[in-house]
Amino acid sequence: MSVLLVLEERDGRIGRISWEAYAAAQALGASANLPVTTVVIGANTQALAAEARAKHPGKVVRVEHALLAPYTADGYTIALEQLIRAESPEYVLFPHTYQVRDFAPALATRLGEVLIGDVVAIGDGPTFTRQLMQGRLNGAYRHIGSGPCLVSVQAGAFRAEPLAAAPDGDAAPVSVFTPQLEASQIRTRPGDPFRGAAQTVDLASAQLIVSVGRGIKEAENLPMVQELANALGAELAASRPICDNGWLPMERQVGSSGQSVAPRLYLAVGISGAIQHLVGMKGSQCIVAINKDPDAPIFEVADYGIVGDLFEVVPALTEAIKAARQ
Amino acid sequence: MTVVLPSPAEPGHFLLAEKLIFAALLIASVALFWRRFGPVLRRILESKKDPDFRLAPVSGRVRDFVWEVMLQARVIRERPLPGFAHALVFWAFCAFALVTVNHCAVIFGSGFLDPNGIAGRFYFCFAAAFAVACAAGILGLFLRRFFVRPRWLGPLSRESGLIALLIFLLMVTYLAAFFVSAASPAARALWWAHTLTLLFFLPVIPHTKHLHLVLSPFAVFLSRGGFSRIPPLAGDEDFGLVAGRDLTQLASLQAYSCVECGRCTEHCPASNTGKILNPKQVVLGLRAYLNEYGPKSEEPLIGRHESQEAIFKCTTCGACEYQCPVGIEHLPIIVGLRRGAVNTGEWQDSHGAKLFLALERGSNALGLSASERDRFVEKNALPIYDGTQEYCLWLGCMGGYDPKGREIILSLVRVMNHLGVTFGVLRKEKCTGDPVRRLGNDLVFQQLAESNLEALKSSNTRKIVSICPHCVRTIQEDWKEFGAPPPVEHHSEFLARYASRLPPAQDRKKIVFHDPCYLGRYRGVYDEPRAVAALAGQVVDPERSRERSFCCGAGGGLAFLGEETGERVSHARAKELTATGAQVVGAACPFCNTMFRDALAAQGPGAPELLDIAQLAAQGLPKNDPI
Amino acid sequence: MKIIVAIKQVPERDAPMRIAGKWIEEADLQFAMNEPDAYALEEALQLREKHGGEVAVVSVGPERAGATIREALAKGADRAIHIVCEDLAARDALGVARLLAAAIRPENPDLVLTGLQSEDLGLGQTGVIVAELLGLPHSTLILQVEKTGGGENRIRVKRELEAGWFQFIEMPTPAALTIQSGGNKLRYATLMGIKRAKTKEVRTLAAAELDAGGEPVVRLEQISLPKKQKSTQILPGTGKEAAAALVEKLKFEVRVL
Repeated sequence: MSVLLVLEERDGRIGRISWEAYAAAQALGASANLPVTTVVIGANTQALAAEARAKHPGKVVRVEHALLAPYTADGYTIALEQLIRAESPEYVLFPHTYQVRDFAPALATRLGEVLIGDVVAIGDGPTFTRQLMQGRLNGAYRHIGSGPCLVSVQAGAFRAEPLAAAPDGDAAPVSVFTPQLEASQIRTRPGDPFRGAAQTVDLASAQLIVSVGRGIKEAENLPMVQELANALGAELAASRPICDNGWLPMERQVGSSGQSVAPRLYLAVGISGAIQHLVGMKGSQCIVAINKDPDAPIFEVADYGIVGDLFEVVPALTEAIKAARQ
Repeated sequence: MTVVLPSPAEPGHFLLAEKLIFAALLIASVALFWRRFGPVLRRILESKKDPDFRLAPVSGRVRDFVWEVMLQARVIRERPLPGFAHALVFWAFCAFALVTVNHCAVIFGSGFLDPNGIAGRFYFCFAAAFAVACAAGILGLFLRRFFVRPRWLGPLSRESGLIALLIFLLMVTYLAAFFVSAASPAARALWWAHTLTLLFFLPVIPHTKHLHLVLSPFAVFLSRGGFSRIPPLAGDEDFGLVAGRDLTQLASLQAYSCVECGRCTEHCPASNTGKILNPKQVVLGLRAYLNEYGPKSEEPLIGRHESQEAIFKCTTCGACEYQCPVGIEHLPIIVGLRRGAVNTGEWQDSHGAKLFLALERGSNALGLSASERDRFVEKNALPIYDGTQEYCLWLGCMGGYDPKGREIILSLVRVMNHLGVTFGVLRKEKCTGDPVRRLGNDLVFQQLAESNLEALKSSNTRKIVSICPHCVRTIQEDWKEFGAPPPVEHHSEFLARYASRLPPAQDRKKIVFHDPCYLGRYRGVYDEPRAVAALAGQVVDPERSRERSFCCGAGGGLAFLGEETGERVSHARAKELTATGAQVVGAACPFCNTMFRDALAAQGPGAPELLDIAQLAAQGLPKNDPI
Repeated sequence: MKIIVAIKQVPERDAPMRIAGKWIEEADLQFAMNEPDAYALEEALQLREKHGGEVAVVSVGPERAGATIREALAKGADRAIHIVCEDLAARDALGVARLLAAAIRPENPDLVLTGLQSEDLGLGQTGVIVAELLGLPHSTLILQVEKTGGGENRIRVKRELEAGWFQFIEMPTPAALTIQSGGNKLRYATLMGIKRAKTKEVRTLAAAELDAGGEPVVRLEQISLPKKQKSTQILPGTGKEAAAALVEKLKFEVRVL
C-alpha cells in the first residue's frame, strides 16, 4: 500500500514536471497516510536513481531493462504493469507529459482501470480536479474501482518546492526491478528525435510568443523586444504593419492574412488589437498586452494588461524575467 | 416654287441574268449566314432552361428595351462621344431596314418605296440623313479603334476594320446614288455595289462580334431582371456552373451577345490593379467553350477557357454588369462558376476553407467565439430585442466583433437614443452568409439563412436596420430563396429620414463620400448617405462616384481570402479619395471602413480621417446625451 | 487500406456553461464534430486518396450524433456505424472504448484513427484504450502517416514531442493512432458531399446489444465553474512594478517560467 510515483527523464535528468508530480504525491501520501515510492525507468537508471534518492528519503525503485530504451509504449506498459502488480500501490502518479499520455491509458486498461489525467488539484476524498470544456469548467473525479488509482498531474499545478536533501543514514534502499520483456513484445520502432526545420519560423507550434505592433514606432526599437523574447524563450511575431514595412519577415506575421497561433502565452507589445490581428491569436491560452492606450481593443481579450509606455515596461520585464530564471 | 426632294437613282430594269444571279447570291448569302448562325442559335436553345425565368411583367422588359436598345442609353452614358457615334450607326441601321428590303425588291420590280412619290422621297432623304450621320460615326469609331487605340478595346481587331469598311461602303453607295441619274450605268453599278456589300455583310455577321446586332436586343429584353440575381439551384444534381450542361439559355445568349467593348473590364477593380481577372474574358470564355464543346458537354467549364484563379479575384462589385450595354449579367456567371468550384469541393484555398469551416461550426465569419459579441452587448448595455421595440438592430459580424464596426454601432445607438427610436439587438446572431453566398458555398449559406430566418421569426422581428450593405442585400434578396425575410434597411436610409431632427456638427469638415458597391449599384441608394454626411460638413464626390464608384476591394468574400498580390484595390481607391483634398473620408460600410483604414494609414500622416456616416451623424449630438 | 475513424460529437466551442446537475444544460446547445477527430478523418481520407480502400466512421453517442456522422459522410467517409448511447455520461473512458472496440473488432481494419482528445472532456485516452483492447500497436500525437515501401504492411508516422521536437516511428499494421490537430488542412463540407451522403450506409447499433460489459471505475462527481472568470487584470504601477507583478503571474498562474 503506497503511492507510487513514476518519474520521467528529461535530457538525462529528472525533469521539473516530475518533481511537481512528486509534490502532489507527497501531499496525497500525507492525506492518505501512505508512503511514497519513487520509480525511475529505463535501460540505465543508476544516475536517475541517485538523483531521486538525493531528494526522496523513501523507497526508490529502478525499473531497468535493456529493452526500455528508447521509450516505447509497449515496453513501459508491460514493465510498469508487472511492477504495479508486484507493489500493489493504492495510487500511481505520473507527470502529465506527452510520453505518459502515450502509455498510461494502455497501462490502466491492463489493470482494468482508467487514468485520471491532467489533474490540476487533489482534494479531500481524494477527489481529483480536471479541466473540462477547454478550461471553462472544472470537474471533480473520484476513483471507484477496486484496483490502483492512476493519476497524472498537470505541469505547474503543484509547486516543486525546493526539497531538502535526505539525510543519508535514514534513507531506504534503492531496489532494482527487472521486468520480463521480450523483443517481440515491442511492436513500435521509434526513430531519433529531431527538430523541425530550423529556417522556417513555425509560429503555429510555438508555445511562447512575443508579438510586436505599431507601438514600436521604428525598426531600431525591435532589438529591445527581441531581447524580451530571448529572455522568455519565445518566438518573435508581429502584426501586419510591421511586416508590411519589412521590419520583420512576412512569415512572422500573425493575423488573418498571416499565421494563426495558439501558444500558451501571447505577449502583445504595442499592438492595438485590430480584428485582423485578433483572429490570428484569439486561440492563445494566456494573452498579455502592453499598450499605452487604455482603450486599445487588445485589452478586451487580454488576461493581463499593462497600461504603460512599452519603452519603459519592456526592458523592466526583460530584467525581471532574467532574474526569475536564475 | 415647289421643293423637290432628291432621291437615289434606281435602275429601271434588270436583265434576267442579273435577276438570276442576284437570286443565287441572295440564297447563298442567307445560307452562309444560317450556316454559321444556325448552330449558335441551336446552342442557345439547347442550353438548360433557366429555372427561375418569368417573362412577366412585360412592361419592365419593354421599358428596358426601349431605353437601352432603342435609345442606346447605356451605350452613350458610359462613353458619351463614341457611344453617340455608335447610336447614330444603330439608328441608321434601323432607318435603313425599309430601304434595304426595298433595295432587294427593286430588282424584281417590286420596290415599294416610290422614288417619284412624296412618301418615297421623304423616306429616302430621311435615310440619307442617317447615312451621312452613320458614315461620319463609323469613320470616327474606326479612327478611334485603329489610331487612338483605347486600352480597354483590347488588341487590334481586323474584323472590326472589315465591318467598319462594309458599313461605310453601304452608306457611301447609298448616298452616291443621289448624284447619278437612274438611267446611267453608274446607277446600276452603284446598285450592284450596294447589293454585293450587303450580301457579303450578312454572312459575316455571325462570324464576328457583330452577332450582337441579332442577339443583343433579345439579351436585353430577356434579361433576368434585378441586379446580380443569383439563380436558385435546381434540384439535387445542380451544383452551379460546373460544365457546359449547366449553362442556361440566358447565359449562352449573353455569351454570344458580347460586343467585346471592354467596358466591363474598364471598371473592374481587379483588372485595374493588375489582377488576372478580366470580366470580358470570362464572358468570351463561355462563348469559346460553347463553340468548342457545346451546351450539353460534361467537360468542366474551368479549364482551357475559364481560369479558376481569375474568378476568385472578383469582388462582386457589379461595375461590369451594371453598365453592360448589351445586357450581359456577369455576376450570375461568375458566382455560378464559383459555385461549381466550391459546391463540388474543387476549390482548394486555405483561407476559403478556414472561412467555410468557421461558419460550419460557429456563428460568425471571423471564427471568433460568440461570447465576444455577448460581452460587447453586455458591456454597452445594448437593449435586447423582445418584440416590443420598433427596430431590430442587426450587428452583423463587423458590428458585433470588429472594434471599428463596434464604434459605428455605438454611434448609431447614440443617434437612435437621441431620436427616441426604440430598438433592440438579437440575443444571438449568425452571419447573414454574404461572403459564403458570393463565394458560391450553397451548403453553408443555406444553413445560415434558414437558421437566421427561424430566429427572426421566433423573435417577432418586424423591421431590421443594419450598418452593413452586405447584410442588407443578403437579408433582403438572398434569403428569399429560403423564406420570407422581414423588411430591412441600411442605416443611411434610416438616418436620412431623420436628418432634419439631427443637430449639425459644430466643426464642419470637407468630406469625400465613397459609395459602397452594395449600397449604390446594388441598392440604388446614393443621396441618403450624402444627406447624412452633410450634417458634418461639405460633401464632395471623388472622380468615380455613384454608379461608377470604384470598389474598396473587400466584397465577394475577398476580405476573408488573405492578402492581395500586387497593387491593392483599397490603396488605389484611397488615393483617389485623398486626391479630392477632403479632410474626412465618409464611409457607409464596415468593410469599406476596414479596407480604407489600412490604406489611409499607409498614406502616412496627413491622410484624411475615416468615419462612418453614423459617426458623422453623431458628431452634432450634445456631448452629455446619455448613451 | 481499410481505415476506421472514431469521431465524437461535442458541444460547440461557444457553448454557455450552464451547470445542470452533473453536466451542463444541453437544451439550447449547438453541436459539432470534435475538431481533432476532423483531423483524424482528414488523414484517413487522404490515405484513401493515395492508397485506395475504404474509410468508415464509428461514433458512440445519442441520436443527435447522427448529424455529425452525416457530416463525416459528406466530407467523404464511405459508411458509418452509430453506436446509439443515451447515457454516455454514466460511462468512463474504458466503458466507451469497450463499445468502440466491440464494433471495430469484426471490421478487421488496417488502421484505427481517433483524434488526440475531445474538446469536451479532454481525456485523450480513448484511442489508446481501444488500441489496448484490440491488441493493436499504437502511437499518439501523430501528424503524418505514410505507408512504408515494400510488400509488408508497415507504416511510418510522425509524432509530435514536447518543445518543438518530433520523431518518426515505424510499426506494423493493423495499428491504432491518435491524430494531433494541424497535421493537414481540413476540407470543408460541400453541397455535393451532403447530397451524396444521403445514399451512404449508416449502421445503427444499440449500446446495450454490444454487451461490452464492465462497471465504471472512475466517476465524475461534480462540475463547477473555475473561480477565475476571464476578465482582464490590469497590473498597475510603474514600468518596473507592473513588470514584477507580471513575472509573478507568468510564474505561478500561467506557469511558463
